[in-house]
Amino acid sequence: MSLPVILLVLFAILLVGLLSWALRPPARSPRPPLDAFEALRQSRHSSRMSHILQALQPQDAEYLRSAGQPSLMQTLRRQRRVIALNYLQHLQEEFEMLLEISRALAVMSPELIAMEEMERWKLSLAFAANCAFLKWKLRLGLQPFSGFTLLSNIAASFARRLEAATTRIAESTVRSAEPSGPSHDNPGGF
Amino acid sequence: MVEPLQLQTAAWALTTALELSLFVQVLRRKLGRLYPFFFAYLLSILLQSAGSAVLYGHSEIDKLTFWKIAWGMQGMVVLIRALTLVELNRKVLSPYVGIWALARGLLLGVAAAVIAYDLLLSKGDWQWLIMNGVRGLELAMAAVIVTMLLFARYYRIPVSPFQRALAVGLCLYSTFYVVNYSILEKVLRQYAVLWNFLGLFAFIASLLVWIGAAGRYTAVEEVAVPETIPAEVYGRISSEVNARLVLLNRQLIQILRLENRG
Repeated sequence: MSLPVILLVLFAILLVGLLSWALRPPARSPRPPLDAFEALRQSRHSSRMSHILQALQPQDAEYLRSAGQPSLMQTLRRQRRVIALNYLQHLQEEFEMLLEISRALAVMSPELIAMEEMERWKLSLAFAANCAFLKWKLRLGLQPFSGFTLLSNIAASFARRLEAATTRIAESTVRSAEPSGPSHDNPGGF
Repeated sequence: MVEPLQLQTAAWALTTALELSLFVQVLRRKLGRLYPFFFAYLLSILLQSAGSAVLYGHSEIDKLTFWKIAWGMQGMVVLIRALTLVELNRKVLSPYVGIWALARGLLLGVAAAVIAYDLLLSKGDWQWLIMNGVRGLELAMAAVIVTMLLFARYYRIPVSPFQRALAVGLCLYSTFYVVNYSILEKVLRQYAVLWNFLGLFAFIASLLVWIGAAGRYTAVEEVAVPETIPAEVYGRISSEVNARLVLLNRQLIQILRLENRG
């Protein structure tokens, strides 16, 4: 049997696997559109990045090491690892919430921008892969937390940009929610 | 011991009985009006069963004519199955105008790519072209079903139990056909009768899935579609949401890079 035919058969088998995956109920029930837009107004974990990074500064651990307190230093590192993992978890939740909003939008929209949808698929794949990688790295304790410290310098600027983007979204949402004449200006009642 | 040929005859009889049973269920639940191509597909497989019985009863027909009639009937059934699939996709996705517009192109692309790849394997031989064409169409149908279901899953579009059953039945039969045609009938030609029987078995499984779903079908399954929003509102919020997603992704990438440096 030739290689192209083998590939064809493997593709057919892959399709059966994907079929069973696609038919599984989603891990969490979808938010109703109103709920999703309400979630957009909630506080964002990513904006607290600078505080988290502040808490993860390695100087304390270094001080404890130099002061001859290795067990205390280990405890501190362990606790900080938990903080970092929690932070990543919240980032992931925020990301998923944004995806949820975009899905709710797509379902209600009369036309989709293919490039934007494609970009979102790519982003969600990249984010899922990066997040999983970083979580495992932290869990296994492969790297010290020193890397986090450099982030504190850029965290503030990220937070500012996120804040600006979110404000614009909130304004857009409010504008679209205002009853302004024709009935289709306020579709879905949000 | 039961001979494979006797088993196959029994399977044919069972298949015809199940086809009739499904036909009655579809009539009783008035599904023919909602899914006219599925109804036409059921009619076509019943006609194919009757046609096959007539064909096998006339042993004087020469091999080539037999082959042409048999594959002609099969081609018709596959074509109507493809139309059933288009109908299913429309039913699931077309109420969501934007998603349907995006999915339509993608589904067509997937189908065309799979068929083209399969036809390339025929190398210009017309006999292989027809048989590989049918296989390509079957594989394309399976690929389109899976893509449609992945779309529905991603956008959280509700798929009714009957539509799911329709998709599962069509997809399983198509993929089994491809595997059967590609490997089993070629590598293990001496067991052709047995493999034919297994092919029928896959179809029986599909019929059972459909009979179960048609039996449980209620009009409540048809889901309400949300109201639409203006395209410009979608465009504005969508690009903002993407901007935020990009920033979140960048945060992660920065952490990863710095961790690697640290």
